[in-house]
Amino acid sequence: MTAIINSRSAQGDRPAITYRAAGDRHVLVEYGEMALDLELNFFVTAVSAQLAEHRVPGLVEAAPGFRSLLLHHEPSLIDRKTLIEAMEEVHEAQQSVRSLIIPSRLITLPIAFDDSESREAVHRYATTIRQEAPNVRDNSNIDYIVEYNGLPDREALYATVTGTTWWNAYTGFFPGLPFMFPLDPRNAITVPKYNPTRTWTAEGTVGIGGPCVAIYPVEAPGGYQLFGRTVPIYDILARHDVFRGDPLLIRPGDRVHFLQVSEDQLLGVRRDVLENRYEYMIEDDPFPVADYLARAAEVQAEAETLRTAREAAAALMEVP
Amino acid sequence: MTGTHPVFDVVSPGLQTLVQDYPGRRGLQSKGFFPAGPMDHLSFRIANSLVGNDPGAAALEIPMGRLTLRVLAETSIAVAGAEGSGITLNGAPVPLWETVPVVPGDEIACSIIKGPGFRVYLAVAGGIDVPVVLGSRATYTMGGIGGVEGRALTKGDVLHGNPVPSPTRLRVPTSLRPGLANDWEIELMRGPHADPDFLTEQDWKDLLANKWKVDLNSNRVGTRLNAHRFQWARPSGGVAGGHPSNVLDGSYPIGGINTNGDVPVILGPDGPTAGGFAVIGVVVQAGLWKIGQLRPGRDTIRFREVPLEEALALSARIDYTTDPRHYEEL
Repeated sequence: MTAIINSRSAQGDRPAITYRAAGDRHVLVEYGEMALDLELNFFVTAVSAQLAEHRVPGLVEAAPGFRSLLLHHEPSLIDRKTLIEAMEEVHEAQQSVRSLIIPSRLITLPIAFDDSESREAVHRYATTIRQEAPNVRDNSNIDYIVEYNGLPDREALYATVTGTTWWNAYTGFFPGLPFMFPLDPRNAITVPKYNPTRTWTAEGTVGIGGPCVAIYPVEAPGGYQLFGRTVPIYDILARHDVFRGDPLLIRPGDRVHFLQVSEDQLLGVRRDVLENRYEYMIEDDPFPVADYLARAAEVQAEAETLRTAREAAAALMEVP
Repeated sequence: MTGTHPVFDVVSPGLQTLVQDYPGRRGLQSKGFFPAGPMDHLSFRIANSLVGNDPGAAALEIPMGRLTLRVLAETSIAVAGAEGSGITLNGAPVPLWETVPVVPGDEIACSIIKGPGFRVYLAVAGGIDVPVVLGSRATYTMGGIGGVEGRALTKGDVLHGNPVPSPTRLRVPTSLRPGLANDWEIELMRGPHADPDFLTEQDWKDLLANKWKVDLNSNRVGTRLNAHRFQWARPSGGVAGGHPSNVLDGSYPIGGINTNGDVPVILGPDGPTAGGFAVIGVVVQAGLWKIGQLRPGRDTIRFREVPLEEALALSARIDYTTDPRHYEEL
C-alpha cells in the first residue's frame, strides 16, 4: 500500500492528476507538480465551480487547496472507486482554464509593517516555545524573511508586499483566512515556516509561509513568519456592515492590494471598523486568465533571474 | 424562548465546558470551518441515546471536570465518558452509562476527572436549546460561534432545553462501553503525504512502531505528540519552504497527522482546515473518539494501520453501540 491510489498523466491543457489516500472518508486530488503555478489554482477553481453545479451524491464537500481538492465523502453513500470515477468525468468535461474569466473583486487593505502585535506574538514564542530559533531576531521574523530572499533591507520587503496584487487561491486554516499568491511573479518570495509552531497570533496579523501570504482572521496558533498587521477580515457578529451577508471578507478568487500605513493610522482605522465608520475599499473586477498569462509571460525572464538570486540566498540560510 | 424551559443553572462552569452537537458544521471547510462538535463522538452519542435524544443532539462536553449544575426542571440526564469523574447527584455517586431522572433543586457535581479518559459528556432529555449558527449548535470558541455565545460556559449561565416526555430508563451493557486506557492503540490509515514520495517506507514503519507521548499542550485544535526526526523521502520542501514537512498548502482531513516541522499533531474538531504541512497519516473515523479521551501530558499512543474495509467495519460497530435498541432497560 502507498499514499497514491490512482493517477493520470497530463493531457493537452489538463494537468496531471494524482489521487491520494487520506483516511477512510477523504481523498486528496492533486493537480500538476508541486510548483507555484497559478494556472493549477485556476483549474481547481474551475473544477470546484463544476462540482457545485453538478453535485456528486455522497460527496459532502470538495475543499480546495492551492493545487488540490480534498474530497470529503460518506462511504455508505459512495465508495472510493465510484468517487474517483465521478471525478474523472468532471475532469474530462473541463474546458481549458486559459479561456476563463473568474469572478473576482479587488480589495485594498491598509498594512502596518513591524507592528507591536506581531512583535508580541514573536516575543511570546521566543519566551515560551523556542528560545534560539534562526527565524527570530529582536522579537521579529522580518530580518529572517529579508535575508532568506536576499533582499537588501526591510524596505525592499515592504515594497515587494505592496508592489503586487495578491490572489486568494483559497480560504481555510481558520474561518476566512485567505491563502494569497503574488500575481506579479517578480514579487514571489518564499520562507520556511516555524518549527514548531506558535501557540498565539493576534487577529489581523499578516505573515508569509512558503510562498504564501496570509492574514490571521482570528486570534490563533500559526506557523507563518509575521511581518505586519491589517484590519479585521472576519466578524461573525457583523459589527461592521461589510460582514452582514457573510462573516468572511475575502473570497476565493478575490485579489488583495496592500497599502502601507503607520501603526497609529492602522489602529485608528481598526477603531473605525469596530464603530462601523470605516469604508472597506472593494471593487468588482472580473479576472480574465488570458490577460494574466500574457502579463506573466512578459516578465517571466526577469522573474526567473530574481528567483535564481533568491534561491542562492536561501541556500546559505539556516532552516528553523 | 417559546417552547423551551430552563433546565440547568451553572453554579460552577468547569474548566472549558462546551455545548456541542454532532456531527457539527459539515461542508464549510472551504470557508475555513472545521466541524467542531464533541472530541469523543462515541461517548457523546451514547449519552444522548440514553435520554431518548437523537444521538447528535446538543449536549455538554466537560473536559477535566469541576462542573456543578443546579437542576431547574424535572427531566432525565445521562453521563458517559471518562472514568474517575466523581460525578454526584446531591452528593451521592451517579452511575455513568445510564439514564438518571432528576428534579428541580437537584445538584449535579463533577470533581476533577482522574481518568482513564479526560472528558465526560452530559446529555439532557430533549437536548440543550442554543441557537443554530451556520447549520449547527456546536461551540467553536476560536470563531466565536455556536453554543452559548460562542464561548465556554460561565457561572450564572442558564441553559434551556426542550420539554419532552420522560424517556425509558436505559443502561449501556458493559460489553458495549468504550474501552478507556492510558496507553492507547489508535486505528490509522495512510495520509496523502505518507510514503513513497514524502515519507520513506522506514518513516512509515517508525510512525507505527513508536510509542508516542501526548503533549501537555493538546486541546480541541490539535493533539501534539513528541518531536521525532523523520528521514523524509526528499531533501527539502522545495518551493513550499525549506523543511521537508512543508507542502504547497491544501485542505486537511479531520484526524490527520500533520507534521509540523518535527512535531506530529493530530488535527482536532476545532483544528485548522488547511495549511502547508504534510499529512502523513489519518486517524480513521472509528478511532477519532479516542483522541477526545487522551490525557495531555500523561497518555501514550501506538498507531495500528487498518485497511479501508476494517476502518468502515469499525465505524459500523461504533454506530451499533450508539443505538439504544441494544441497551438494557432498567
